[in-house]
Amino acid sequence: MNKLRDRIRIQTDGQMKTGRDVVIGALLGAEEFGFGTAALVTMGCIMMRKCHLNTCPVGVATQNGELRKRFTGKAEHVISFMRFIAEEIRELMAELGFRKFEDMVGRVDLLEVQHAVEYYKTQGLDFSKVLAVPAVPAGGSLRCVTHQQHDFSLSIDAELIQGAKEALEHRKPVSLRHKIRNCNRTAGTTLSYEISKRYGSKGLDADTIRVKFDGSAGQSFGAFLASGVTFELEGDANDYFGKGLSGGKLIIYPPKASTFRPQDNSITGNVNLFGATAGEVYIHGMAGERFCVRNSGAIAVVEGVGDHGCEYMTGGRVIILGKTGVNFAAGMSGGIAYVLDENQLFDTLCNLEMVDLEPVVEKEDVNFLRTHIERHVKFTGSDYASEILKSWDEMLPKFVKVMPMDYKKALQKLKEQQMKNSESAEMTEEVFL
Amino acid sequence: MGKSDGFLEYKRSLAPKRPVQERLKDYKEITKPLLTEEINKQGARCMDCGVPFCHAMGCPIYNLIPEWNDAVYRGLWHDAFERLSLTNNLPEVTGRVCPAPCEAACTMAINEAPVTIEQIELSIIEKAFAEGWVKPQPPAKETGKKIAIVGSGPAGLSAAQQLRRMGHSVTLYEKSSKIGGLLRFGIPDFKLEKSVLDRRMEQMRAEGVRFETNVEVGVTITAEELKMKFDAVLLTMGAGTPRDLQVPGRELSGVHYAMEFLTLSNKAVSGEIKQDAIISAKGKTVLVIGGGDTGSDCVGTSNRQGAKKVCQFEILPKPRDWKEPWNPSWPNWPLILRTSTSHEEGCERDWAITTKKITGKEGKVHEVHCARVEWTRDAVTGQYSMKEIPGSEFVLQADLVLLAMGFVHVEHSKLLTDLGVQYDARGNIQTNGNFMSTVPGVFGAGDTVRGASLVVWAISQGRQAAQAMDAFLKS
Repeated sequence: MNKLRDRIRIQTDGQMKTGRDVVIGALLGAEEFGFGTAALVTMGCIMMRKCHLNTCPVGVATQNGELRKRFTGKAEHVISFMRFIAEEIRELMAELGFRKFEDMVGRVDLLEVQHAVEYYKTQGLDFSKVLAVPAVPAGGSLRCVTHQQHDFSLSIDAELIQGAKEALEHRKPVSLRHKIRNCNRTAGTTLSYEISKRYGSKGLDADTIRVKFDGSAGQSFGAFLASGVTFELEGDANDYFGKGLSGGKLIIYPPKASTFRPQDNSITGNVNLFGATAGEVYIHGMAGERFCVRNSGAIAVVEGVGDHGCEYMTGGRVIILGKTGVNFAAGMSGGIAYVLDENQLFDTLCNLEMVDLEPVVEKEDVNFLRTHIERHVKFTGSDYASEILKSWDEMLPKFVKVMPMDYKKALQKLKEQQMKNSESAEMTEEVFL
Repeated sequence: MGKSDGFLEYKRSLAPKRPVQERLKDYKEITKPLLTEEINKQGARCMDCGVPFCHAMGCPIYNLIPEWNDAVYRGLWHDAFERLSLTNNLPEVTGRVCPAPCEAACTMAINEAPVTIEQIELSIIEKAFAEGWVKPQPPAKETGKKIAIVGSGPAGLSAAQQLRRMGHSVTLYEKSSKIGGLLRFGIPDFKLEKSVLDRRMEQMRAEGVRFETNVEVGVTITAEELKMKFDAVLLTMGAGTPRDLQVPGRELSGVHYAMEFLTLSNKAVSGEIKQDAIISAKGKTVLVIGGGDTGSDCVGTSNRQGAKKVCQFEILPKPRDWKEPWNPSWPNWPLILRTSTSHEEGCERDWAITTKKITGKEGKVHEVHCARVEWTRDAVTGQYSMKEIPGSEFVLQADLVLLAMGFVHVEHSKLLTDLGVQYDARGNIQTNGNFMSTVPGVFGAGDTVRGASLVVWAISQGRQAAQAMDAFLKS
């Protein structure tokens, strides 16, 4: 046990229904408790499991006006429920001899496995790790007793803002260079805040602020990076690389002196580009799991990803020049991914519930792909991508286009509408002429 | 499961009933079949509940209701039939006479009219018979074990079919002239035509169930013989002892148990006995004492026989009038006023009335002396008690009094005495949780064990007892 536990509160949820559940949670170390279904049930939920269909017959989870009229829940129902929960907690605390709730937190020693409910399925369960009592270091605690000191002195944004003064105030291009370590988190976020404060979501012209970093970036490198900022990182990055990317450009490649094959090694952590809305990202190397989860507009080129790539993506374009993990495109309702499927195994890795796999044949797609791989080579100096371009005619047929089915329909409709609009525009022009 | 928003699109709709004046002239069933497309829509109303209360809480035999509702909606009638056959041996009976606790428990009954589950069940099985899908399912091999079942009501029939299909040799004994128990002799034809039973008997006979009618087990065959000849015995003779009215004048001519009246009427309808052999209500003022389903059957039968006037008295207070389509006690069975088809046909109903004595003329019933009662709930014990309201006495002229006051327990017959089974506190046969009585190898199921109850409970018990017996015979 380190001396970090005393700064945080632990929240637990899932199947919380009774005061006993809360007490067990507290003894295991939790301080906050989330009630979901049980609270809903007090307000009339009957676990129809139709929340996603808009047909909830008791009006709990629906936008249908007729059905919402059927909702009979009252805030008082939840209040009463919680009172009973609290009452039961109080009774159990009295039995256990606790006067204050916080005294109970982390007292794992008071829990034991109830052997009376042993069942053949439980035979292989080993609770010793769950019920282990950790040693508390001197001055430490098993519950939250102090506050996290948020030390912004480690943030490099203050220096970046200072260095980019000309750009911020007069839109003049600046070029900076900075070392970075993994304790430097959310690099570029406060800088982006300064930009959007002045120039709104449009930001600055492309590449107005260029920063070259060297080293190993901490979590959330380039998070919410605004338009007009280009970060180039020679080194590697942790999780949440490009989180919420908002128009900026991120380029990352291994140190020039490194000897490994980038396309086979992870260079960024998990959950890159989480919820990104705009911008471009070029990764010379592999990214971790859940690449581009919930991306809605950014363009990314990467040389390989882990499991659950493009999960819940709703927009943007992703080019993957190498391996993917399993469950690719799960819940992907929009955007397009282009995957280089050299050994033709991609269809076994892709979650085909919502997407179709197509060859890349349309001119529009081919152009997009080629242009962006060229940019990737230009920005990162990737030999691997360069080889692909060299044998382009051979490689192009090996690309697979991952196309969400409903997205495709929506795009088609949009096109038809645009055609109609332009036709009618011409017609009105004719009439007026 | 149906259509996800079918319940918003379609309204509950039941099969039309024949007009009262028409149906009073015969004993044929009251409802007309519904069109297939309408049934499809009714199936579409099912909401595919995450937690289907109809199936788990409503139906004692766990009918796979959401599954066959969905199949019916999609027009997959054969699939629906296969699902239905998995749990119910007599869907053509429950589809007609079950009070449908499933519909009371239907999730939609929280705030609107439930799915017409019973009607869908009936449509499925009638379609299956019409299409020739109901075929005998004889066992693949014989176990060589011999089982006797005493009493051929729904519990006995269900157990017989289940046990036979498991490969046991099954002999079903019935003391009456025909198989079916109360289904045949208790329930009037206007609710359940007897050809419906004959159809099922034919299937069971083809499967190899042996029917032995006119056999009073315990007399024709002694308990000793029964034990010797069979590896196991199942007692499903129902709760045959009716509750009696212990008042002066009970012995007068014209005072009958409901079951005597209904049995004779049913036998006359089937042509088994002559019209003049029944207890006739023709031209008479009839008083039915007891406000339950049996009483209601007496009302309907009396009216068909041409009674001058029919009254029905109940000792309990009038349940609350509930006109809304939803269930005020969801998912439980609501205690609300129910008006049966027989009541629609003409009947004066009254509640909270006790009978004090019956007086006669020339040995025949002439007047019934009643009084009104008040029910109060003990605040401590929660028990209800009844008190006569002073000065509320009144007299009703009646020529026929039918006692439909429920059943106390199984008849404590010679058979049961000779077998040596023990009774529980209520006088039912005591079983051990595995349907075995205190005598090894002698089992009990249905009303005999539970006390008088629904057909669907009898089926449930019959099926479970069959399973328990199979396990017993294999051990």
